[in-house]
Amino acid sequence: MQSLLDAFAWITNPTVVLRELMAGAADGMLLFLVASGLSLIFGVTRVINFAHGAFFMLGAYFAYMIVGSGVNSSVNFPVMLLAATLGTFVIGLTFEVCVLRRIYRSAQAFQLLVTFGLVLICGDAVRLIWGSSDNSVTLPPSLEGFVRVFNVNFPVYRLFLIAVGVTIYAGLWALLYRSRWGVLVRAASADRDMLRALGIDVGHIFSAVFALGSALAGLAGGLAAPIVSVGPGLHAEVLTNALVIVAIGGLGSFSGSFAGALLVGEANAFGTLAFPQMAIVVPFLIMTLVLIARPRGLLGRPE
Amino acid sequence: MNRSWAPLLLLPIAIVAGPLLVSDFWIFVIIQIMVYALYAVAFNLLLGYGGMLPFGFATFFGLGAYALAVLQVRIGVAVPIAVLAAPFVAATFGGLIAYFCIRLSGIYFGMLTFAFQMLAYTFFLKSYYFAGGDSGLHGIVIPGVLGQPIGLYYLTLCVVSVGIALLWRIVNSPFGLALRSQSNNPRKSLAIGINVALHRWLAFTIAAFFAGLSGALYALANQSVFPDWLDWRSSAAPIVMTILGGMHTFAGPIIGAAIFVLLQTVLTGVTQYWALFMGILIIAIVTLLPKGIASLFGRRDA
Repeated sequence: MQSLLDAFAWITNPTVVLRELMAGAADGMLLFLVASGLSLIFGVTRVINFAHGAFFMLGAYFAYMIVGSGVNSSVNFPVMLLAATLGTFVIGLTFEVCVLRRIYRSAQAFQLLVTFGLVLICGDAVRLIWGSSDNSVTLPPSLEGFVRVFNVNFPVYRLFLIAVGVTIYAGLWALLYRSRWGVLVRAASADRDMLRALGIDVGHIFSAVFALGSALAGLAGGLAAPIVSVGPGLHAEVLTNALVIVAIGGLGSFSGSFAGALLVGEANAFGTLAFPQMAIVVPFLIMTLVLIARPRGLLGRPE
Repeated sequence: MNRSWAPLLLLPIAIVAGPLLVSDFWIFVIIQIMVYALYAVAFNLLLGYGGMLPFGFATFFGLGAYALAVLQVRIGVAVPIAVLAAPFVAATFGGLIAYFCIRLSGIYFGMLTFAFQMLAYTFFLKSYYFAGGDSGLHGIVIPGVLGQPIGLYYLTLCVVSVGIALLWRIVNSPFGLALRSQSNNPRKSLAIGINVALHRWLAFTIAAFFAGLSGALYALANQSVFPDWLDWRSSAAPIVMTILGGMHTFAGPIIGAAIFVLLQTVLTGVTQYWALFMGILIIAIVTLLPKGIASLFGRRDA
C-alpha cells in the first residue's frame, strides 16, 4: 500500500503534473498526426495500413537526409519538414496507385499482407541507404531552450509541437467538414458504392486520401526526428500506438483519433511516472477494455 | 480439395529417410518447416475454415513456447511433460481471449486479438524474474537422444504428424462443416440451428491449442524463447504462409510453410536484406497473381 502511495506521490506536486501534462500533450499531437491518417485511410478504403509506422519512420529519415548530423538552422527546419511530408506523400501515392488499388475488392488478409510487405521493404530500405545505426537530428536554435510558465520550465519545442498539432487538427477539420472535397471523402467513407453510382470518381478520392494520410505520418516523423533516435526500428512502436489510438477513438472517426491520441499521450507520460516498468502495458490495457466494452470505439459510430 | 494431396504421396518416404542424408543445418530447416506447417494449418482453421482473421495469432505460438520454457527452465519439468502441457496453457488463454474476441467480426475481431497479443508481448518483455525479460529464456535442457538433431527431428515429426492428422479430422468432421457454413453465411447457419458463437469459440481455442504445441516444439528446436515471438510482426508469418500456399485447401498452409522457410533460409544465406526481398515477393504475389490465388476465394469478399 505504501509503495502504491509512493508511486502516486507526484500528484501533490503541481510542477511535475503540469510538466507531464505538457509532455503528454506534445507526444499526443505527434501521435494524432499518425493516427488521424491511419483512421482516415481506414474510413475510406477499409484497409488497416500496417505500413503507417513505416511512413512515420521514412519521414524522420527524410528529415535526417536534409539536415544530417550537423547543426540545424531555421532555414533547414521547414525544408526538412517539407521533405518529410512530400517524400511520404509521393511514396504513399505510388503504393496506392501501383499496389493497393488492385486489391480493394480482395480478402482482408491480402490487404494486410501487402501493407506488411511494405513494412519489410521500408525497414530494409532505410538500413540499405542510411545504415543500421541510430541517428540524431538537432533542433534549430530558435526552437531550443525553455519557456517559463507558472514557475514550470516548458521546452519550447513541446509547445511548438502542440501548436502545430492543434493547427493541423483545425485545418483537417475544415478540409473534411467545410470543403467540397471533404464532403466527398465523408461520403466515400459512408457509402462508396452510392458515391460511385452518383458519377464521382471514387478511385481519385482513395488515392488522395491514402497519400494525405501517408503525408501526415511523414510530417509527424519529420517533427519527431529531433526528439527521437532516427533508426530502422522507429516504426514499430509508432504503429502500435497509432493502432491503440484508432481502436480507442473509433476506426474512421476523426475527432476520435484526436481524443484517443491525447489520451494515449497522457497515459504514456503519467504511466511512466507512476509505473516506470509497466507503463508500456497501459495503452494496450485501455485498448483491450475499450474494444471489449465498445468495439466501435469511444467516438465511433455503429456500422 | 483432395487433388492437392497427390504430389504429397512421395513426401512420407523423403520425410522419414531425409534427416539421415542431410547436414544438421538442413535438419533444423526441415524441423522449422514442420513446426510452421502445424502452426499455419492451425491458423487456417480460423482464416480459411472459420473466416476469422486474427492480427495477433502469434500470442498462442509464443504462449506455448514460453509455457515449455518456464516449465522446463524455471520449474525443472521434464521435456516430454512440458511439451504436452504447453498446448493446454495456450488453449486456456486461447479460450479466455476467444470469449471476448468471437463476438466481434472483421477488423474489430482482428484488432482485439492484436490488443491481447500486445498485452502478452509486453508482459513477457517486462517480466525479468519469471520469463527473462527482453533477452528471453535460454538453456532448455533436452535429455538423451531427443537432444540430438536426429532425435529432435523425429520427435517433431511425430508430434506434428499427430497434430496435423487431428486437425484434418477436425476440419472434416461435422464441426468443420458447420464452421465453414458459419463463415460463408452466419445468418443462415444460425437459422438452421448451428450455434455460431460456440463454433467460433471452439475453433479459436483449438487453433490456439495447436499453435501452442507448435510454439513449444519451436522452443525445443531453439532451446530458447524470445519475446519477439509474440511481436505484431511475428503474427504476419502464419498469414504469409497461409496465403502463399492457399487458404482454401487443407494442405495449402503446409506448402506455404515450406516455401516460406526455404525462401527465408536461402535469402538469409545470400543477403542480409532478406526482408526486403520477402516484402517485394509478398507484394508481387498478392498483386500480380490475383487470379491464381484469388479465384479460390471469390466468395469471401462479401
